[in-house]
Amino acid sequence: MNRFAYRRPATLDQAFELKAADPSAYFVAGATDTLVKIKNGDIEPRALISLRSIPELKGIETGETVRIGSLTTISEIVEDAELAKIFPVLAEAARQLGSRQIRNVATIGGNLCNCSPCADTAPPLLVHEARVKLAGRSGSREIPLSEFFEGPGQSCLATDEILEAVLIDRPAAGARGAFFKKGRVRMDLAIASLAALITLDGELCTRVRLAAGSVAPVCLRLTKAERHLEGNPLSPELVSEAAELAAGEVTPIDDVRASAIYRRRLVEVFTRRALAAIAGR
Amino acid sequence: MKELSFEVNGKPVKVMAEDHHRLIDVLRNGLGLTGTKEGCGEGECGACTVIVDGRAVNSCLYPAMEIEGKRVTTVEGLTEPDNRLSALQRAFVEEGGIQCGFCTPGMLMSARALLDENPDPDPQEIREKLMGNLCRCTGYTQIVESIQKAAEYERKK
Repeated sequence: MNRFAYRRPATLDQAFELKAADPSAYFVAGATDTLVKIKNGDIEPRALISLRSIPELKGIETGETVRIGSLTTISEIVEDAELAKIFPVLAEAARQLGSRQIRNVATIGGNLCNCSPCADTAPPLLVHEARVKLAGRSGSREIPLSEFFEGPGQSCLATDEILEAVLIDRPAAGARGAFFKKGRVRMDLAIASLAALITLDGELCTRVRLAAGSVAPVCLRLTKAERHLEGNPLSPELVSEAAELAAGEVTPIDDVRASAIYRRRLVEVFTRRALAAIAGR
Repeated sequence: MKELSFEVNGKPVKVMAEDHHRLIDVLRNGLGLTGTKEGCGEGECGACTVIVDGRAVNSCLYPAMEIEGKRVTTVEGLTEPDNRLSALQRAFVEEGGIQCGFCTPGMLMSARALLDENPDPDPQEIREKLMGNLCRCTGYTQIVESIQKAAEYERKK
């Protein structure tokens, strides 16, 4: 069994001090991804710094901008009725993450900082154009979530930075969303996922946001498909064209879970289904 | 080594543990509560499921150092004070929800957590909430039926 020290700072300052004293230490929250990596020998940290006791990282505040503390567990997101009303796409993705046992300890911060291309909370947050607040020794900064993911397992966090909170503006009144995820079995990583958020003004799409997971090095927005749809009525032809564009924008790979061809096809199908669902309501 | 103080099955305990230990190590090796099983050690099979502060968790992924001050329920905590099986356990026996028994402690704890939240779950909800518990023997149908029967028993009380 891998041996490591386990530190439990009570404040952000203490956490930063511990990290400065040992830059190779890993920040953890729920630790459900990190402990598996340690077990498999993918990483061998000498120390883990648990952020679980730090108060600034907790809590959900629902104002015009909703602030979700990074320590908020996936179960807390599923169970927050107000959050589910404002962001049903995020709530649906949270419902499909892992198992109940995992959701009870895994955190939204951890899901994002792990930077898996399969991260379930990322596509919904991307279509809502969420921002993340990053806190470091020398201060904090806010960046769009789309700039947070740099590559598989690679975020833009500096060594001494942590993700403090996710900030999401409330969507426009007429916005409708959808979320689709396919795994080999229900409790599995996504082999493809898609989130959609569209504002309809009568027949016209006035604002279109689409994001996909597990089909590129990072979760990403499907901007070509978005631009093709915006300002136009959702006709069956337009939906087909947009679905094809979406499938062309992604760069999936073959891996143990699925082939690239199948993933690309799922993006096309999910785009079509999302648009149909949104138009039909 | 650090001393951890927490509550297990209603009783306060003090156990020594190392920084890298998981809750399952503390329960099985520190406290001799071997009812909780390690099936995968990766949070996939759920055989290690216990309840911490009302929430079902995988004890194989729960750092021991985080258990300080918390309330834990293990499968050993399900039996009645006079050592009789609880209604939940009896239902599993009666409905054939047990074959080799290895997944059973985890199934019981997930079921316990589910019934504590929803005393009248339908089969779909049972299957969804128990997605994190794998069974190689039964094909799950009788496990779902066991939980439904347990819910019935508990509602009658």
